Amino acid sequence: MVTALKLVLKEVVYTLMLIVGVTALLFMFFNLMPGDFPGKGGGLPAYLNLLKRLFTFQFGVSVVSGVDINSILFPAFRNTLVLTLGAICISLIIAVPIGIFSAYRSFKGYSWPLTIFSYIVSSIPVFYLGYLILFFVSRQTGFLPIFYPESSAGKHRLLSYVLPILVLGVGNDAISEIVRLISSELGRVMSTDYVIASKARGESLLASSVNEGIAIPLVSIVFSKVPFLIGGAVIIEFVFNWPGMGRLAFQSTLDRDLPVLIVIAFLSVLMVRAGMILKEILLYIFNPGEG
Amino acid sequence: MKRFYFEEESIQPEEFHVPIYKRASAQDVISIGFGLCVLSYLIVFYIISITNIFIKNPMEINVGAMFQSASFDHLFGTDFLGRDIFSRIVKGTEAFFLPGLLSITISTAIGMLFGVLSGFYPRFASRIISYILDIIDSVPRFIFILIIIVLFSPSIYLIMTFVGITSIPKIAAYVKAKVEVLKQHGFIESSRALGLSPMTIIFKHIVWLSSKSVLIIHATLGMGEVILIETSLSYLGIGVQEPKPSWGNMVAMGADYFFQGRVWLSTIPAITITVTIMGLYLLGDGLNSIYNEKVTR
Repeated sequence: MVTALKLVLKEVVYTLMLIVGVTALLFMFFNLMPGDFPGKGGGLPAYLNLLKRLFTFQFGVSVVSGVDINSILFPAFRNTLVLTLGAICISLIIAVPIGIFSAYRSFKGYSWPLTIFSYIVSSIPVFYLGYLILFFVSRQTGFLPIFYPESSAGKHRLLSYVLPILVLGVGNDAISEIVRLISSELGRVMSTDYVIASKARGESLLASSVNEGIAIPLVSIVFSKVPFLIGGAVIIEFVFNWPGMGRLAFQSTLDRDLPVLIVIAFLSVLMVRAGMILKEILLYIFNPGEG
Repeated sequence: MKRFYFEEESIQPEEFHVPIYKRASAQDVISIGFGLCVLSYLIVFYIISITNIFIKNPMEINVGAMFQSASFDHLFGTDFLGRDIFSRIVKGTEAFFLPGLLSITISTAIGMLFGVLSGFYPRFASRIISYILDIIDSVPRFIFILIIIVLFSPSIYLIMTFVGITSIPKIAAYVKAKVEVLKQHGFIESSRALGLSPMTIIFKHIVWLSSKSVLIIHATLGMGEVILIETSLSYLGIGVQEPKPSWGNMVAMGADYFFQGRVWLSTIPAITITVTIMGLYLLGDGLNSIYNEKVTR
């Protein structure tokens, strides 16, 4: 327990150091930027002021539209969080069974089509997959709504969550990677001595290798995919008109609204590092020996 | 077929003499073959597009011949301005070929340097380098690119330079792990005892003779990622701009006609993207499983 606490504390301190580094880099870029811009310059006091604003979550106003960044960013952040977490779940639901299936050596010939499927799915560009599914699901059958209704409440609200989450979960390139990792790791673990011994005792082959063969590789890969999911979310939110952080980032890119982008970068670093801390904790739970 | 893994106990001298064609399974051969096909058509397309032979002018507008279906004259038909889709796809390789090579060169060269340094000098270099790499790693790549676009100009070469920078941490981590394993081998120690300079040991014995395969695999997988990023940015309209063809902005332009039932305008470039990226990923993974490097994307 003490070791775990120490581990978490170390990660948190490192995260703070990283955030200071990232914001310093962004501030430096901001001052290197050609042309004049409100809030530019000021040296170290200005940087400390920026840090103070970021860590107290008082982000100030957008230079283009003049609205308070907090009021637009937090709903967007919540939407993106829903999208990202849902997409991770979808990817896991698709990829883990394929990985387990292809880990059984005797099924190798049968699992080849599934592996190819996972490759095709993860190399289709996300934006095209969005259109394709919209075309078939929404336009031809009218089963699910095409756009995310921003204000409409009621029964369609939950339904409109389905398509973006599904497309992002299927279309990011995590699936083929998870399949490949699980099939190779599980295949390796299944032929180790202790699993063969537990099979000889009559226990299930899968149940005795699930910890080392599935849980540890999954934990170590899923959380490293968070940055890629946030990147995919930018495109998906553009395709589906989903009012999230990615669309906000894209909009502020077109507006050259750098303060908003810096805040978005800060929040995504927070998300990524939170994932890393969670990963350390989970790895400690699954594998306490290697703390 | 027996598989080999780089674990301490499994490294025996004779295992290095198993020839590559005996290590490959049928799946690996199919993957690598498909990947080599994709690689060769990419190169052929690029050569055609810089020499301008065999293809029509991809920007020539012919309003009289809009939305034509496939024929000998127009191999993939024409788009909403009567432009030949096949020539646009061929010309679209220009959008990512050289920038992609630039990005791969930057990421492998600097990543290898950082990896070797932090693997070889764990005391001095490792801490600082891993801090720098973690900074790069913790900003999502797409957000980083958007910031670069706001700060500087949306030039594809600049963007691809930064894409290369953002893939440094991965390569550095693998090279570092590789160096740490190799350092325990006898041949490094004996080359030190023979009085070889550290430069020779690092660049000849570690980088060239032992980590070539990691770099090749990363270069292939990196090209796939570069194509994905370039097409995504061009799709969003902040990469290659419209009159110039790119697979991404072809999908974006065709998408306006997608819901009218003219599906092929954006499907053809999308299929091209899919096949290309899949080929590169399969090539990387096939090489990966032959060399047993366990590189993850």
